[in-house]
Amino acid sequence: MSSIVPSAQRKISPRRRKQAWIGAAYIAPSFVLMSIFNVFPIFLSIYYSFTKYNMASPPVWIGLENYAKLFSNRVLSEALVNTVRYVLITVPLQTVFSLLIAAFIAERMKNRYGSFLRSVIFIPVIVSLIASATVWNIMYQPKGGLINQILNAFGFDSVNFLGKKALALPSVAAVAIWKGTGYYMVIYYAGIMNVPADVQEAAIVDGASPMQRFWHITLPILKPITYMIVTLGIIGSFQVFDLVYKMTGGGPGRSTYTVAYVIYTFAFQDKNYGYASAVAICLLIAILLIHLIQTLFFKEKEDR
Amino acid sequence: MKQKISAGYIIGLVLVSLFAILCILPLIYMVAVSFTDSESLYIQLKDLRFNFSNFEYALTKRDFGTALKNSIIVVVGSCLLVDIVSTMAAYGFEKKPVPGKEALFQGYLATMMIPGQVILIPMFMMFNRAHMTNTYAALILPMVGAFGIFLMRQFMVAVPNELLEAAEIDGCGEVRRFVTIVLPLVQPALITLTIFTFNGAWNNFLWPLIINTKSEMRVLPVTMSTLSSNSTTNYGMVMAGATLTFLFPFVLYIFLQKQFVEGIALGGVKG
Repeated sequence: MSSIVPSAQRKISPRRRKQAWIGAAYIAPSFVLMSIFNVFPIFLSIYYSFTKYNMASPPVWIGLENYAKLFSNRVLSEALVNTVRYVLITVPLQTVFSLLIAAFIAERMKNRYGSFLRSVIFIPVIVSLIASATVWNIMYQPKGGLINQILNAFGFDSVNFLGKKALALPSVAAVAIWKGTGYYMVIYYAGIMNVPADVQEAAIVDGASPMQRFWHITLPILKPITYMIVTLGIIGSFQVFDLVYKMTGGGPGRSTYTVAYVIYTFAFQDKNYGYASAVAICLLIAILLIHLIQTLFFKEKEDR
Repeated sequence: MKQKISAGYIIGLVLVSLFAILCILPLIYMVAVSFTDSESLYIQLKDLRFNFSNFEYALTKRDFGTALKNSIIVVVGSCLLVDIVSTMAAYGFEKKPVPGKEALFQGYLATMMIPGQVILIPMFMMFNRAHMTNTYAALILPMVGAFGIFLMRQFMVAVPNELLEAAEIDGCGEVRRFVTIVLPLVQPALITLTIFTFNGAWNNFLWPLIINTKSEMRVLPVTMSTLSSNSTTNYGMVMAGATLTFLFPFVLYIFLQKQFVEGIALGGVKG
């Protein structure tokens, strides 16, 4: 390589080389930490996924056995179905809510009340998942919980939200939507604010109604943001753990077992670290696929 | 620009306002219950006491005091580490001619796609092997991530090269340039990054749950999770714990609302 470099460039190289070293020194701390805590563990995880490992003795190489067993595991397939159901409840609702609220506030409430509402809707975002789960657990209590007190006041019977198999997962999802909508609303709001004002004004002059403007101007412009929000939402919901851990512990039965929860129980309750690693690697592959699909989809739309 | 007040506008206004009420109702309920002295299962307004007995009980008898101290140590440590390491890296990536830096940066960004559960088990093994379980370092060191470096680099672009070159000609040393020119210019980004790191460290749950198992090393969310919220518990005390957990980020949000929101919008729109 060095022979190709013209001599004029090689002359300034001592200073440049010094600068390169200084730059490397600035990058070095992050490189060390990222390598140890972000990159190396992935390879270790891949290795563990081919072993039988319970921590009491060193890992034993068993090839693809863990992966072969994944397909026949009832617990895992139930968890996968639950996770997909959970994603299908949370992602559409939080996306639609955040879009509608952001669009309404941005276009129709350019006043202090609008920014006040925005601030309020954002507040659940800063509540930790465990605190959220705790508060909602108490609100969901069949006896004396706020929601059932309200139901009773209107003459309805109490509902055991987290104790019924059919209701537990949607009840957990409701908390995620409560906590997530404000986050995505902020992203949508910033996106709408980036829409050039003259586009909207031209549409108003042409006599377009607010509904028409929403469908034909705002929505198409926000498409890239929507792709991103849906992707972020799917990936985030796919990894739901804290809420399930605190609110249901996977129950009743296995009705709220999710993929992330299953990894946790296989590893830290059953001490089956190799097998849990194989599940984790599958989760990684699934998430990389979601990213890939989004990128391809996004590219295709950009090209048009 | 004036807009007509139509039926659609009124309906929208009511719906958005209702949604906002739904957003804060659970938190108002949380604070209200934390101030009630109730042994019964039914929480009633007449039990509202407006004293801090539930908070006192949670802090002294249920280890919330220890957890609060641990959380504060971990959050301060994480913010300092992440701020320093990310700013240095961003400066190196943006302003220095390091060969192969763009490839490395792309590699950093790729790590953002890795779900936490994938590295959980190996990290657990590594910290066990290093005898670093039940330490603050176990909770602080892994907080450095690509997001902070990405965020800081976005702002580092705006630091003018001419300014750095002029300072260099004037004999201003490398370290002094970084501290006296770069740091003040990227300060708004540092505030945003600090908020993100604060929230991440304060709310982190799964990792502290498995790595710091000794009760004297637990952080707030983990201690919170050990309180069962079934009908046999004292709701007031549980809600006092949740209120304490919520209080610190909430105060931060009140004062730095703009940075909170801008940080998310920036990470979102550009990421």
